[in-house]
Amino acid sequence: MLRFDAATRRFGELTALDGCTFTAEPGRITGFLGPNGAGKTTAMRAVFGLVSLDSGEVTWNGSPITGGQRARFGYMPEERGLYPRMRIREQLVYLGRLCGRARTDLIARTDHWLERLGLLDRADDRVDMLSHGNQQRVQLIAALVNEPELLVLDEPFAGLDPLAMIAMGELLVELAATGVTVLFSSHQLDLVEDLCQDVVIINRGSVVLAGQLDALRSATPERVLEIAFRGVPPDWSRLGPVTMRESPGRVRLELRSEEDLNRAIVFASAETELLSLSYAPPSLGDLFSRVVVS
Amino acid sequence: MSELSATWLVALREMRERSRTRAFQLGVGVMLLVVVAMIAVPGLLDGQDEARRVGVTGSTPSPLAGILAAQGDAAGVPVVVREFPTTASGEEALRGEDLDVLLVDGRRLEWRGNPDEELQAAVAAAVQIVAIQERAAAAGLDPETVRELLGPVPVENVRIGVVAGRSVDDEVAALVMSTILMMTIFIYGSLVLTGVAEEKSSRVIEVLLARVPVRSLLVGKVLGIGLLGFAQLLVTALAALATSLAVDSLELPSVSGGVLVWVVVWFVLGYALYAMVYGAFGSLASRSEDAQSIAGPVGYVLIAAFWASFLAISGNPDGVWSQVLSFFPATAPMTMPSRLALGAATSWESLLAACLTLAALAALVAAAGRVYGNAVLHLGATLGLREAWKGPRHGG
Repeated sequence: MLRFDAATRRFGELTALDGCTFTAEPGRITGFLGPNGAGKTTAMRAVFGLVSLDSGEVTWNGSPITGGQRARFGYMPEERGLYPRMRIREQLVYLGRLCGRARTDLIARTDHWLERLGLLDRADDRVDMLSHGNQQRVQLIAALVNEPELLVLDEPFAGLDPLAMIAMGELLVELAATGVTVLFSSHQLDLVEDLCQDVVIINRGSVVLAGQLDALRSATPERVLEIAFRGVPPDWSRLGPVTMRESPGRVRLELRSEEDLNRAIVFASAETELLSLSYAPPSLGDLFSRVVVS
Repeated sequence: MSELSATWLVALREMRERSRTRAFQLGVGVMLLVVVAMIAVPGLLDGQDEARRVGVTGSTPSPLAGILAAQGDAAGVPVVVREFPTTASGEEALRGEDLDVLLVDGRRLEWRGNPDEELQAAVAAAVQIVAIQERAAAAGLDPETVRELLGPVPVENVRIGVVAGRSVDDEVAALVMSTILMMTIFIYGSLVLTGVAEEKSSRVIEVLLARVPVRSLLVGKVLGIGLLGFAQLLVTALAALATSLAVDSLELPSVSGGVLVWVVVWFVLGYALYAMVYGAFGSLASRSEDAQSIAGPVGYVLIAAFWASFLAISGNPDGVWSQVLSFFPATAPMTMPSRLALGAATSWESLLAACLTLAALAALVAAAGRVYGNAVLHLGATLGLREAWKGPRHGG
């Protein structure tokens, strides 16, 4: 289990981490969210000792993280980077050896991952001969080649095409199923909603919301009613003071009680020709904008 | 994984990857070619040791050939004598470059171009001796006694060095050694510089630092590139030695084995010292193209150190300046080997200076490591040295 305990780090005037506390559990995928500059990258760097903390600590299974433990972690930094002129297999084996793994094991594992990601025939090419997307794949293998117990990925989905995103998501689910602790940051909330069991949202260096995604969603009193209709949009404000968002042929209403729900449905069916209705707890995006804005 | 084995892994990668680049292979090839050519070409062009060919024709006294050979040997100008039946046939051989000079009737020397003074002196002396022998015989003197009286006396040429008791060869050796040292530090220090800057600009540095400590990365890089440089130097030196033995053109300076061992020690210390500084400067650059200009001051210091040591040594290798420079860490690697080669410093002085330099190196590893660790993850504008020392001001 990865635990941040009141982790604090200042850079001059700026407080990048401010008493940041949360955990990431083994066998689960934790989404790490926050607006730009919230301190996500600083927190992830702190796991690898790339940033030292002014106070607080980061622990793995209850004890402060040592170099030996880091050899069993995988990391994909936000700023992707590999030796551009080094051959792919050789580079991956080298990065694995820096984690203290044996060469022969590493060759086998590297080839396994290269094959899995469709790059085995490029194993002896230089990294800079690959397309951007394929370089991303190699970067991911670099984080996996030492069979990590903890995988920390900073914006792993940034710059991927939709198919690659799906493949990456499947891979993370698969790894978590084998007991790996997965922590990744992202701005794609729908993706996080699909993949993650747990979320941590930070803002200005502090955690503003953390926990199991389902529990967080259902714990809020609000429910969201989405209505699709045909015809002229009515004046929804006649429903009373509800938060809403309108788009052509659609409206999204945040309701607080079942009374509100019934009133809204009666109003909608009277004023429009209904096409579809959905009634659910708020999405991750709703939760996010609520805690980050306020 | 210990810090030491991580360092070694980093060093191994440097050696493997760099020795594969075309630039490196080309550099080694060109250096080998230049050194071999510098030694071989003068050896092949140099006619000094080749026998001079003297033709004789017309009325020439019979003992001349023998006396000419003896005179030539004494003057260090070996001579081969050929007889020609006519002046015309001798001149034809001269024009055809089969002869260096033609002696006609024992009185006239014919040349293709300007007279070769050494050869002229030898032939003239032989002609004089033959004439004196003939006159002595005519005067009734015993020919044997005359020959003994007129036997050639070898005269040696010696160039004296600047320092009493040391030869010019030693001085040349000292200068060549410190020049090679300076060049090697410069070339391989620059490789460390660009290597660090490339790791930063390609961002691979963050992947690496998540796995190994800053010190392993920096020291490993310096070590790997240094070993490669040392191997190149060794290969070049062996090629130079083999070439000079093959063409027999150069007298190897009389540098003793003990001095050579010290030269190697100082090569290692000097390179390590400057390479650390280059590594720290490389981490400041935001793009690898900027690295050279940022590290400019390091190059100036290196060249200044070289000239200071050269001037001090050629002034007086035992003087105060030479002594000071041979103990100061930044100049010691270029000064101490020269003083050793010139016999101006003892081994224990060298040992003391080496300890001082090692202490400086240890401090530098810590300081360079700090700058490197702070600067290498800093993206954006190029950092100043002071900023990098103080630590990062921005997070991610």
